[in-house]
Amino acid sequence: MDQLRTAVDPAPDEGWYRIRVRGRLDQRWSTWFGDMSLTGGEDGTTVLRGRVGDQAALHGLIEKVRDLGLTLLEVSHEAPDAAAEPDR
Amino acid sequence: MERVMPHPLIETKLYLPSPRPGRVARPRLRERLDRGLAAKLLVVSAPAGFGKTTLLVDWLASAGGARDGEQVRGAWLALDAADNDPARFWRYVVGALRTVLPGVGQDALGLLEDSRPPAVELVLTTLLNELSALDLDTVLVLDDYHVIDAPPVHEGMAFLLAHLPARLHLVLATRSDPPLPLPRLRASGDLVEVRAADLRFTAQEAASYLNDVMGLELGPDDVHALEGRTEGWIAALQLAALSMTGRTDVSGFIAGFTGDDRYVVDYLVEEVLQRLPVDLRDFLLRTSVLDRMTGSLCNALTGRVDGRSVLEALERDNLFVVPLDDRRHWYRYHHLFADVLRGRLLDEQPGVVTGLHTTAATWYEQQGDVEEAIRHSLLGEDFERAGELVETVLPAFRRDRREATLRGWLEALPRPVLQDRPILGNALAGARMSTGEFDGVDDLLDATEEWMRGVGHALEGRARGAAVDEEYRRLPADLAVHRAGLALVRGDVEQTVTHARAALDLVGEEDHVSRGAALALGGLAAWSTGDLETAHTAYAACLVEFELIDHVSDVLGCSITLGDIEVVQGRLRSAARTYRAALDLADRHHRPVLRGRADMHVGLAARHLEADDLAAARQELARCRELGESAGLPQDAYRWRVVLAGICEAEGDVEGAVDLLDEAERLYVGDFSPPVRPVPAVRARTWARHGAVDAALDWADRVGLSLDDPLSYLREFEHLTLAKVLVADARHHEGGDLSLVVTFLDRLLEAATEGGRGGSVVEIQVTRALALQQLGDDEGSVRALAAALGLAEPEGYVRTFLDEGVPMATLLAAVERRAPSAYVRRLRSASSPAPATQPVPRRSGSAHVVPVEPLSTRERDVLRLLDTELNGPEIARELVVSLNTVRTHTKNLYMKLGVTSRRAAVRRGRELDLL
Repeated sequence: MDQLRTAVDPAPDEGWYRIRVRGRLDQRWSTWFGDMSLTGGEDGTTVLRGRVGDQAALHGLIEKVRDLGLTLLEVSHEAPDAAAEPDR
Repeated sequence: MERVMPHPLIETKLYLPSPRPGRVARPRLRERLDRGLAAKLLVVSAPAGFGKTTLLVDWLASAGGARDGEQVRGAWLALDAADNDPARFWRYVVGALRTVLPGVGQDALGLLEDSRPPAVELVLTTLLNELSALDLDTVLVLDDYHVIDAPPVHEGMAFLLAHLPARLHLVLATRSDPPLPLPRLRASGDLVEVRAADLRFTAQEAASYLNDVMGLELGPDDVHALEGRTEGWIAALQLAALSMTGRTDVSGFIAGFTGDDRYVVDYLVEEVLQRLPVDLRDFLLRTSVLDRMTGSLCNALTGRVDGRSVLEALERDNLFVVPLDDRRHWYRYHHLFADVLRGRLLDEQPGVVTGLHTTAATWYEQQGDVEEAIRHSLLGEDFERAGELVETVLPAFRRDRREATLRGWLEALPRPVLQDRPILGNALAGARMSTGEFDGVDDLLDATEEWMRGVGHALEGRARGAAVDEEYRRLPADLAVHRAGLALVRGDVEQTVTHARAALDLVGEEDHVSRGAALALGGLAAWSTGDLETAHTAYAACLVEFELIDHVSDVLGCSITLGDIEVVQGRLRSAARTYRAALDLADRHHRPVLRGRADMHVGLAARHLEADDLAAARQELARCRELGESAGLPQDAYRWRVVLAGICEAEGDVEGAVDLLDEAERLYVGDFSPPVRPVPAVRARTWARHGAVDAALDWADRVGLSLDDPLSYLREFEHLTLAKVLVADARHHEGGDLSLVVTFLDRLLEAATEGGRGGSVVEIQVTRALALQQLGDDEGSVRALAAALGLAEPEGYVRTFLDEGVPMATLLAAVERRAPSAYVRRLRSASSPAPATQPVPRRSGSAHVVPVEPLSTRERDVLRLLDTELNGPEIARELVVSLNTVRTHTKNLYMKLGVTSRRAAVRRGRELDLL
C-alpha cells in the first residue's frame, strides 16, 4: 500500500479540498459531509470545503455526493496558505 | 452450548419485490433489457432515485422478461456493505439462485467452508459446472452493486463472468460502474447497458406519471416545467407529485419549485416533511438510521407502540418505504430518501444518533441477530458491547470462514477493548498475518501476553459460552503459534523453533488445529536448517492432526512438504506413498476436488520421471491440467513446469526443457518453503549435461558459488550443481583441476551422510564417480558408483543415472563387468535417446514452444471438436454455448498454442498430447 501511495501521490494525501456540486445545497448538510463548510455560488453551484484526513476519506465524501444524486462538477486540492483563511 | 449462531440468510435480501400497480410503461427500456438476455452482462448504472430497481422488477414480472416465449426465472439479491466479505457474498449468491433453482450449489457451499481463505475460484467452478446444465434462462440480479468495494469480490465476479453458462444472465444495478472489464465486454457485444440518460423520464413519461398514475391533471406547461426542473429524475418527480397531492394551489407550488435553484431533493423533502404531522416526521427521522425496519424495531426507536401500522400507512401514502417481503413485515426506506432523512437527523438532533444505534443494537441482540447488533453497536460507538458480541461469535464466524467480516469488526474496535478481550487482539493479529500484513502484530501479541501475565489470566467471571472459554484456553498456545509464524516470516529459525516448541507444550491434545500449525512451523524451521529427520517427524505428525479433523486442504498442503523432504532423504517410495495417501483422502472426502490435488499429481509425475516411466509422468501432469489451475496451490505452476522440463529433456527436447525452466523461474513461488532446489540451478544442470558449459559456468559465477564455500543444507543443491558443472567443463575443455572438485564432493558427501540425506548422497556419489572417471581413477569411480547404486536400487532410481549420458553408460558397463546385477542391466538397457552433445542455445525458436498457459477445460473441449468435421455453430450447439463463446475459446487456445489456424491447432494439440 505504501508503494501505491508513493506512486500515485508523492505529496501527503491529507489537506484541504474543495468539492463543487450543481445546485444550491442547504447549510444543514454540513454535518453529513463531515463538517465541511458549504458555500453557495452565484452560478447555482455549491462548494463544499474542508480538511480531509486522507484519500479514503475524500472518496467517502465523493460517495456521499453520489448517493444524494448530486452532480459533481469539480474536486480540487487547496494549497496550504489558501486554507489558512479563518472560515471554520 | 454456543449462545448465538451466526445469522442464517436474511430472507429480505433475496426478496424479489412485487411490481406496484400503476407504473409508467417504458417499452423503449424493456426492449433494451430483453436484448440483455442475449448478452452476458446487463448493467443498469445510474445515480440514486433513477428507477433502476423498479425497472428491473417490472421487467422480470412481465412478459417482457421472456425469451423465445419462455418466461425467464429471476433471482434477486439486494447487496449491502456487509457483503464485501467474500464468504458472505457467495453464500448469498447461492441463496438467491436457490430461490429459483432449489438445492443448487450444495457442493459449492461446502467448498466455501473448506478452505481458508475461501477458494473462490474453486467454489465458482463447482457452481458453474452445475449451472452449465440449465435448461431455462435464469437472470441473477445483484441490486446496489456499488456497495461492493472489496477486490476479492470483484475478482470473483470477473471469474464468474468469464465462465458464465449460456443460460445464466447477470444483471448489476449500481450507482457506479463496477470494476469489471466493461470495455472488453462492450466490444465483444457481451454487455448491454442502461444508463442515467436512458432512465430519465422523457416529457411524455413524466406526463404519464404525473397525470395517469398520480392523477394530478397538470397541463403541458406545468409538466414541462417540472420535467425541466427535475431533469427527469424520477425520485424528484415522485417527491414533487407527493407535495402536490391534495394541495389546492398546485400552480403556486410549481412556480415556487421551478423558480428555486436549491438542490431538488432538499427543496422537495422540506415540502413533504412540512406537511406531515410532527410525530410522523419524528418517526421518519429516528428510524432513518435503520437499514431495515419492522414494527417492533421502530417502536423501540420511537417509543411508540404502533410502528407496524405507521409503516403500513407510509407505504400506502407512497412515502418512500419499500416492502421487503410479502407479509408486510419488513420494510426499508428508499435509499435516497433515507440519506436525506439521516442528513436532517444529524443536523437537527446530532446528539441522538448514537443512542438510536445502541437501541437498535439491543433490539437485534434480543432477536439473536448478532451481526446486525454488532454493526449498530459500532455505529453507536458502544465498543464495549461490540467487543463482547464479537467475542461471542468469534468461534462460529471462524468456522464459517467469515474472516473478512471479523477482520472489519476487529479493526474497528479501539485498543483497550482488544486488550481487555485478548482473544480479539489475538484474532486480529492472526487475521493480519494471514493476509501478509505484519504492522502492529508484535504490539497485539505483546498486549495479549501482558494480559496473560496479569489478572486476566485467572479468567475472571464473565459469562461466556463454552466455545469462547475454549478460545481463552487456547490463547497461550495460539499466541505461541503466532509468534512462531512471525519469526518464520522474519527468517529467524531459532525463534521459530522455540515458539513452535512452546506452542506444542501448551496446546491441548484435542486442539488439532493449533497442534498441526505448531508442528508444521517447527517442521519448516527444521527443514530449512537441514535437520530432515526432525522435519519429517514433525510433518508426519502434523498430517495426522489435520487428518483427524478432516482438514483435507491442509493435509494436501503439508503432503507437498513431506514428499519433498522424503525425496531429499532418498525415500522415493515413501514420497510416492505420501502423495497417493493424500489423494486417497481427498477422494474419500465427501467433496472430491480440492485445492492441492494438482500438486500431488505433480509429485507423482516427478516420481515416475525418476523411474523413467515418461508416459506415466505425462499422464500425471495431464491430470493436473484436467483439474484446472484452481486445483493447484501457489507452487504448483512452477513445479509442474520443472517436471515437464525433465520429461522433455529425457525425450531429447532440450530446448523445450530450457524454455520450460525459464517459465518456471518466472512463476516461482516459495510459499515459505526453503528454496532448496532453485530453478536456475536445475537449468544450469541441464545446460551442463548438454554441452552449454559456458552458460552453466556463468550461472555459478552470478550466484557467487565457489569450492571454498562453507557448506549448508540450503545451498547443497547449488553446490552439487557447481561440482557437476565443473566436471562437465573438465570433460569439454580438458582443463581445470578436478582433484579440488573431488575434495569438495567429499565434503558434500560427509555433510549429506551426517544429515541423513540419502537422496543427496546418491546424487553426490554419482557426481563423484563421474569426476573420478574424468581424473582417470577408475577404481575409485566404480566404487563411488557402486555405493550410489546400493542406495538407489531399493528406491528405484533411474533418471539420476541415465541423465548423465555417455560417461555414465561407460561407467555402468564397467560396474557390470565386475559385479553384474539385474538393476545395472536394467539401467543399461533403459531406452533413452542419446543426449545432444552440441551446445544448446539459451533461447529457442518457435518450433518447440510449450504453451505458456495451460488450456482451460472448456478450451480443451473446443480443441477436441476442432479435430472433427463440425463447423463453428455446430460446435457451439455441441457445447451448449454461444457461437461467440466458441470464438473466444478458439482465439484463446490459438494464442496459447501459438498457432493461427484450425489445422495447426489440431496438430499442435496432438504434439502436446492434448488430443
